Amino acid sequence: MSAMLPAAQALARRHRLQWWEALPWVAALLAFYLFPNHLAFGTQLLITILFALSLDLVLGYAGIVTLGHAAFFGAGAYTVGMLAQHAGWNEPLTGLAAAALVAGAIGLASGFVLLRTHGLTLLMLTLCTMVLLEESANMGHRYTGGFDGMPGLLFKPLLGAFSFDPLYFRTQYLYVLVVLLLCFVLVRALVYSPFGQSLTGIRENLLRMHAVGAPVRVRLVVVYAASAAIAGVAGGLFTHATQYVNLATLGLERSAGVLIMLILGGYGRLYGAFVGASAYMVLEHFLAKAYPTAWQLGVGVLLVLVALFASNGILGIADSLRRRFAERAAARP
Amino acid sequence: MTPPLLETRGLCKSFGALEVAREINFRLEPGARHALIGPNGAGKTTLVNLLTGLHAPSRGAVLLGGEDVTSLPQAKRVKRGVARTFQINQLFRGLTVLENLCIAVAERLGAGGSMLRPAGRRADVIAEASRLIETLRLEEDAGRRVGELPYGRQRLVEIAIALGLAPRVLLLDEPAAGIPSAESHILLDAIAALPAHIAVLIIEHDMDLVFRFAQRITVMVSGAIFAEGSPAEIAGNREVRAVYLGSALDA
Amino acid sequence: MDLTGILLGGAAAGMVLFVVSVGLSVTMGLMGFVNLAHGAFAMLGGYAIVLSMKHWGLPFPAALALGFAAVAALAVVLERTLYARLYRASELDQVLFTIGLVFVTIALVTLTVGPETQTVLLPEWLRGQTDLGFLRYRSYSLAIIAFGVALMLALWLGFERTQLGARIRAAVDNRRMAASLGVDVGRLFTATFAVGSGLAAMGAGLGAEILGLDPQYPLRYLAYFLIVVAVGGLGRVHGVFFAAILIGVLDFVLKFHFPKGGTMFIYALTLALLLARPQGLFGRKAA
Repeated sequence: MSAMLPAAQALARRHRLQWWEALPWVAALLAFYLFPNHLAFGTQLLITILFALSLDLVLGYAGIVTLGHAAFFGAGAYTVGMLAQHAGWNEPLTGLAAAALVAGAIGLASGFVLLRTHGLTLLMLTLCTMVLLEESANMGHRYTGGFDGMPGLLFKPLLGAFSFDPLYFRTQYLYVLVVLLLCFVLVRALVYSPFGQSLTGIRENLLRMHAVGAPVRVRLVVVYAASAAIAGVAGGLFTHATQYVNLATLGLERSAGVLIMLILGGYGRLYGAFVGASAYMVLEHFLAKAYPTAWQLGVGVLLVLVALFASNGILGIADSLRRRFAERAAARP
Repeated sequence: MTPPLLETRGLCKSFGALEVAREINFRLEPGARHALIGPNGAGKTTLVNLLTGLHAPSRGAVLLGGEDVTSLPQAKRVKRGVARTFQINQLFRGLTVLENLCIAVAERLGAGGSMLRPAGRRADVIAEASRLIETLRLEEDAGRRVGELPYGRQRLVEIAIALGLAPRVLLLDEPAAGIPSAESHILLDAIAALPAHIAVLIIEHDMDLVFRFAQRITVMVSGAIFAEGSPAEIAGNREVRAVYLGSALDA
Repeated sequence: MDLTGILLGGAAAGMVLFVVSVGLSVTMGLMGFVNLAHGAFAMLGGYAIVLSMKHWGLPFPAALALGFAAVAALAVVLERTLYARLYRASELDQVLFTIGLVFVTIALVTLTVGPETQTVLLPEWLRGQTDLGFLRYRSYSLAIIAFGVALMLALWLGFERTQLGARIRAAVDNRRMAASLGVDVGRLFTATFAVGSGLAAMGAGLGAEILGLDPQYPLRYLAYFLIVVAVGGLGRVHGVFFAAILIGVLDFVLKFHFPKGGTMFIYALTLALLLARPQGLFGRKAA
């Protein structure tokens, strides 16, 4: 029996933690201490990273192009909001669990039905599903607050001890950070598992996946539902953090926004969500308020350039640079 | 009498007005070494597509081990032991050779849907994939992206995937096409080393390979089976020579 | 408003949708390219038409012709320089590119013209009402309906009776086979893209009073254009026609009776329809 191929050894070790994987979390903790007056923004950023991470599962790994992922974000946000407003259920952690369940269930049902189609039809149907949810929320204003939403929600302190801080967002920030970490651990495990590999296979060559006997549709529906649940958690966190939920959580703007952020960072790379959301939201925070139209123009130009030249995003560019350096180093005598 | 491993009864397929398969009655016995030859456009690949479930027939039935699988999709037939290679490589171009094989082997071992343990911990999958790499002499390319490999080596990966599915029936669509002659012995060795009970069907234009490999040859022309028999019978069949072999052997 | 009034109003809105979307349907059917920026071309044409009437005093028909020509020319330039690079790209890249174009267009129009909705000064002969004998209705709406029907007939004749039309139909149904039969698919597409965008421009100009004209136009109506195209079936002119009328009338009726949630019905209907027939009402099923 010959020794293990070097490629096999590399594959067996691929899932092991690398040292730089601690960086985002260290940075997030540092930000907590260094920018105490910007934690509201920081909380939103972490929530968006979680949302982008959920989109990466379906888009980056399974290859499902969707413009309607905000449907699940909004479903989670409204679940938490409506439970607090109408059922007096304002314990945060169980509310979050409910958000995940509801969003996941919607994801399972819609995925089961929609993932029979592909291409433009699927894109259209994801859009339709989201708009339907948006219109339902609008119509059911007795339960959802309609266009104005539900402001002024109150939640019990976290674990009975840490109350949400509407002024400085200290509790919210750490709360969201911990939830993000837990969800990330789950997503990372999923991505490195055989299931995750098969998703990459589905994205790379659908015909081949069928031809190796993979139950493609089952896999797609499962990952769609899981992604929906995580997006629902992000939505629930949004309501907890802002104590407010409205129709914007369900709109095309939010769906398109998270899609753009993920592409900018680099999809299918686990950390693209971190890089993309951070870069985009920081720039938006400083530029969009001052020059909204110029910001839109800039984003538009950037998207055109990315689509033409850099569809693998920032991490993709970093990857190809690294590979080029490695090749040059290997070529030297 | 045991039923044939793979059988079609009255299999027909039309695309609109174009008939690509006409009343095909085809049998593949266990342990068969069968070749399918014929001019371009004869419907050979279509037949394989019908056998594997890529196309649904307009009429007729496909039976696997006596069981009617006509309505089963591709993936389910693979699970029942039918594997194929494509005329044009269908690989995961962005992944390494080893990763390509691991995906196929994982599906076969039923590990493809496992979610919690990392793929790297599945030593059985990696070992099996490594073994396939060695069988097809792909060791030095194991860690390279398939998309970067020369076409001939990609072809070997295509075949390795089919082997990795441990099928009862192996359908190879022009396996030698694109493999440089210096490396074609790798392919031949791999086919020769296949377990005796597997049925192997090869579509080929390389008559050298066909006559060395096949115990039985089927000739297809214009969507129908034109002739069938042992290599000697086919080589001696005047009509076959006229329609196809003559030009192929004289070339 | 009585039933006839509602039907005619809906039909007029539907005709506008048809004129704008027919180009999108044919180009998507022809090239399989997801062009979410189609509404942006329409909007640019609409602005050209309305502004040329306002600032240069062009008569309405001349302005329509100008809008058509200007946007068709722009479409040719963009198609040859940018779009053509992405024909083999993934669907995601096409979506990104066209959304980017939409953002650029919206921002540029906002910066140069301003964010307000444009008002259209209709020519004398389109204002007021027309008496058709059995009913009296807004001349403007009747003119739009007449234009839409005329366009539909012209396109139908064009596709069924001319060589060019036959080539386009062949290429929509099977691009590779058409190419192997000698059809210059690249040039065909540039021409179709130009004409389709030009028509969209005219549609936006014609329908400026019904659908409005402001910088958000491409995004606001994106879903409607896509729905009309998907429901009608890619590359099917008669499909787009019927789908547009259906959507136009439904939307009109629903907005009238259920101002709060009417549009929901359209999305639900589209969902149900596309699930039952992914190829649309008139499209061809994939092999």
